[in-house]
Amino acid sequence: MAQDAAGAVGARLSLQIDSLIRAAQRGDQDAFEQLVRAHDQSVLRLAMNLLRSTEDARDVYQEAFLRVYRSLDSFRFDCSFQTWLYRIVTNICLDRLRKRKVRKEESAVVETSHGPVDRMEALQEEAAHANPERTLWNRELKRRMENALQDLTPRERMVFELRHYQGLRLRNIGDLLGTTEEAAKNCLFRATRKMRAELGDCI
Amino acid sequence: MTCDSVARLIPLYFYGELMPEEEDQLEEHLHACAACTREMERQRALAAALDRRHAELPPTLLDACRADLQAAIQGGAPRYEKPAKGPWTLFLEALAATLAGFHRYRTPVGAVALVALGFFAARFTGARLPASSLSPAGEVFSTVRSVEAEGSGRVQIAVDETRRRVVSGPTGDRDIQRLLLAAVREDNPAVRVESVDLLRSRPDSGEVRDALLNAVAHDSNAGVRLEALDGLKPLAGDPQVRKTLARVLLADDNPAVRMQVVDLLVSHRDDSMVGVLQNLVQKEDNNYVRLKCEKVLRDMNASIGTF
Repeated sequence: MAQDAAGAVGARLSLQIDSLIRAAQRGDQDAFEQLVRAHDQSVLRLAMNLLRSTEDARDVYQEAFLRVYRSLDSFRFDCSFQTWLYRIVTNICLDRLRKRKVRKEESAVVETSHGPVDRMEALQEEAAHANPERTLWNRELKRRMENALQDLTPRERMVFELRHYQGLRLRNIGDLLGTTEEAAKNCLFRATRKMRAELGDCI
Repeated sequence: MTCDSVARLIPLYFYGELMPEEEDQLEEHLHACAACTREMERQRALAAALDRRHAELPPTLLDACRADLQAAIQGGAPRYEKPAKGPWTLFLEALAATLAGFHRYRTPVGAVALVALGFFAARFTGARLPASSLSPAGEVFSTVRSVEAEGSGRVQIAVDETRRRVVSGPTGDRDIQRLLLAAVREDNPAVRVESVDLLRSRPDSGEVRDALLNAVAHDSNAGVRLEALDGLKPLAGDPQVRKTLARVLLADDNPAVRMQVVDLLVSHRDDSMVGVLQNLVQKEDNNYVRLKCEKVLRDMNASIGTF
């Protein structure tokens, strides 16, 4: 019953999105803005989590939605808008990951009213009050986690991000990245194995 | 099920990606195998550790992104417009554009390109800019990014500044070439047209060839694509160029581009093009492009239809 209700809500939302797309294709700027607002949080979250830099995430957001703006007329409803959008976003993020593969990854800096704060550092400080040994352990865990993520290829990183953090099914991930479900499964397995090897006895 | 095969399935099991029967078999194995159960625990621990790494969105970031986007669109981000004209008008326009080689656009485009290239040079950090040719007084353009009241009558205003610099030098200069190659990817189509036009004098460089091919295959602006096709004329015999052109011929939505691609392809005798042209004849909705293809096929003594 609940599933039926969720399905009905999903179908209604999808119809709303379709009518927004059609209006935006006719040049309706308000409809385009609504379309962006319906999807932009998840786009920004994906970019931020992958690239760990507010500046890069901001660039990805801009580039992705400008591409959508320019090519919306070519959207033919043969896949969901979200799939189409995610194809654009994942391509841009993969390009950036490939370019910066040699660079050290930036930390998860979060801007707060007290200035920029690294989220992992904040977690560690919190723990420091409770247990200094725990802090050291957390720091080691963080270092290894960063190393582990840097060891992944951009594609492994993307598959892992989309599955673990974004909750997408591997079949959809394969479709987004222009590959098969089997290849996405292999990527996920390799990513997990590399991370477990790097994290060793920390987990 | 062996421990080796279970190790491979554990991540998929954790993420709920196994078929029900595989899940049953794996659970059965886990009940009986302490080593694999420990592996499963490590998988859960890894996921929990990674959950803590999830980046939080800074509260003002989304608003800033939306403001950026709105500014870019209102500032005139080019939008692909579907032509609402009949095929005849479209063909005449396309033909005129091809024959005129866009000379009528050249002067204003050149002026815009110089300004935009100056803007671009200021942002571009990859190239070593020829210092002697930089204009000394750079104008600064400011955009207010955010305004926040701080209370007690104070306000905090964030301003982005863009500094304009003008770079000049011979088109053959390596740094100028690098700027031009980067300018081919700029948002402004006028800058792209002008850059492609300037790059075409060096089609022998691999980088230039790739940039021209990329523009022909992916640029959203037909003017840029036509200009890049012109630049590829001396390379019409190159197999990589021909392969891309064959793909563009079947995919491009602009009849003038398709006409020019046919011209380029037939400038070198190549029987492997027969199939591509036959395919085009089958799907082509523009009479003139279709007639041209049919004529080319007849000249090659090839049949027009496919079997």
